[in-house]
Amino acid sequence: MTTTGWLEILLFVAVVGSLTRPLGGYLQRVYSGERTLLRPLLASIESALYRLAGVKPDVEQDWLQYAISFLIFHALGIVALYGLLRAQSALPLNPLNLPAVAPDLALNTAVSFTTNTSWQSYAGETTLSYFSQMTGITVQSFLSVAAGMAVAVALIRGFARRRSATVGNFWVDLTRGTLYVLLPICIVAALLLIAAGIPQTLSPAAAATTLEGALQMIARGPVASQEAIKLLSGDGGGFFNANSAHPFENPTSLTNLIEVLLIFALGAALTNCFGRMVGSERHGWILLCVMAILFGLGVGGLYAVEAGGNPALAALHPDRPADLRQPAGNMEGKEVRFGIAGSALFAEVSTASSDGAVNSMHDSFLPLSGGILLANMMVDEVIVGAPGSGLYGMLLFCIVAVFIAGLMIGRTPEYVGKKIGSTEIKMTILALICVPAAALGLAAVACILEPGLAGLGNAGPHGFSEVLYAYTSAAATNGSAFAGLNSNSPFYNLTLALAMFVGRFLVIVPVLAVAGSLAAQPITPRSSGTLPTDRALFVFLLVGVIVIVGGLSFLPVLALGPLIEQLQLLSLTLY
Amino acid sequence: MLDAIMLILIIVCFALAIAYASFCDRLLQLPTGRDLLA
Repeated sequence: MTTTGWLEILLFVAVVGSLTRPLGGYLQRVYSGERTLLRPLLASIESALYRLAGVKPDVEQDWLQYAISFLIFHALGIVALYGLLRAQSALPLNPLNLPAVAPDLALNTAVSFTTNTSWQSYAGETTLSYFSQMTGITVQSFLSVAAGMAVAVALIRGFARRRSATVGNFWVDLTRGTLYVLLPICIVAALLLIAAGIPQTLSPAAAATTLEGALQMIARGPVASQEAIKLLSGDGGGFFNANSAHPFENPTSLTNLIEVLLIFALGAALTNCFGRMVGSERHGWILLCVMAILFGLGVGGLYAVEAGGNPALAALHPDRPADLRQPAGNMEGKEVRFGIAGSALFAEVSTASSDGAVNSMHDSFLPLSGGILLANMMVDEVIVGAPGSGLYGMLLFCIVAVFIAGLMIGRTPEYVGKKIGSTEIKMTILALICVPAAALGLAAVACILEPGLAGLGNAGPHGFSEVLYAYTSAAATNGSAFAGLNSNSPFYNLTLALAMFVGRFLVIVPVLAVAGSLAAQPITPRSSGTLPTDRALFVFLLVGVIVIVGGLSFLPVLALGPLIEQLQLLSLTLY
Repeated sequence: MLDAIMLILIIVCFALAIAYASFCDRLLQLPTGRDLLA
């Protein structure tokens, strides 16, 4: 580990922290329909969109109407993207004359991008035309995150409102999130990335002659515009197969820092938006503090393990002093321009945030690091998370935490003035159980069926980790891959699509039900029986609940995969 | 043929999701302490 590496990580944390309040205030004004800097410019477009779609912005929806609007919108999105990918060969902007995407892969990709997962069983540059990338993948990246943010805002309203039958209007929240938040930030970010060297062109792949005289096709395209929303949305689907490890997606250390900032910015700001909307910014900072502790543990662990190097390689030089056996650390699968710190930071941010972009190959991380990456996803990606899903995931854990505390010390389960009753607990458990059920259940199926075993790139615990990582990534709507596994088969395409479906829609429905139930309640004044949820004690309680709930659900599989592999690596057994 | 199967899969999954939402709504309507199946 180096001082420069730690400074890079600290700089990232400082910038995210300093962006949280201004961006959180902006989000609160946007979703409350208040005046913002961009409102005079965009209000007429917003109104025109409502008129075009027949939406009455003043008419609010109860939670069920909100949920059904959400589901119908996504069903149409999946059908539209599926159709586009199947018809790709007949559509314009296809300079490489790429054929239609196979049905199972098209379904997997359509579900993946509409659920904000961006699991990719394909290589972008050799499978999708520019038209598919721009009007399919990029559009769904915008819409899926705008929908996720809308759900989080509906839940915030549940906490903030008193005796209300409604939680907002899904179509209005979707439009405002896209128009006032995502598009402006993405335009600025895309220009920044273009200035930093990322291509933005509709020209076909460049033909180059190598020094050996061979012809090499260098893929390019409208990368910067897709890159901006790929990162901001917590989507993570790369234009190229190598994702942000590709020099055209992430050419320098500076772009690496910009990219990780884009991934975390909105998710962190939503905690402040929550605090403002419930009338106590302190509650927002408490949530961010919990996220920061878990993030610190993850990135510190990753950096330490990877900088320590691979014991199997170090053992090749037993005659050298310990610090000279592998001085650069475990650089396998990492880009030299990012180094260990830049790779560890990106991997932690990507798996904690639900983004799923990668700038290094997670399959090449040491087993213990692979376990940390898995654990980030297994705790429902509440460590900032994707914009929207990270916040509502964290609020679900808050509900569990006050409920457990209430049982332990006899306090009334309340959170920000709302009583947590049996209904809220039932819905919360329904939501929290989806990710473990889908990830563990489908991973178990893949481990016993021939089509599942056929995709393995490695044997033993490493092979098991590959399968576990794939289904955890899909169910947690992360989308990053452990490499190794060949997932482009009908079996994996369909089962991973199912995991993504469960991890997104079956979680969001009970989240909205909680929102509806809470919104109908009055605000309970704080009393001597109220557990203080804006103090340091609650921070540690919440961290404990997240770790224990995640740990209890997933510890056995972590032991079978990365933990046993790490122990065997110490005895120089490789898989 | 495969396209039709995929389309049916999508419709069935979302129909189930909407049914799931209705189930959650029934749970919300239920007076505290009563069993849904009773």
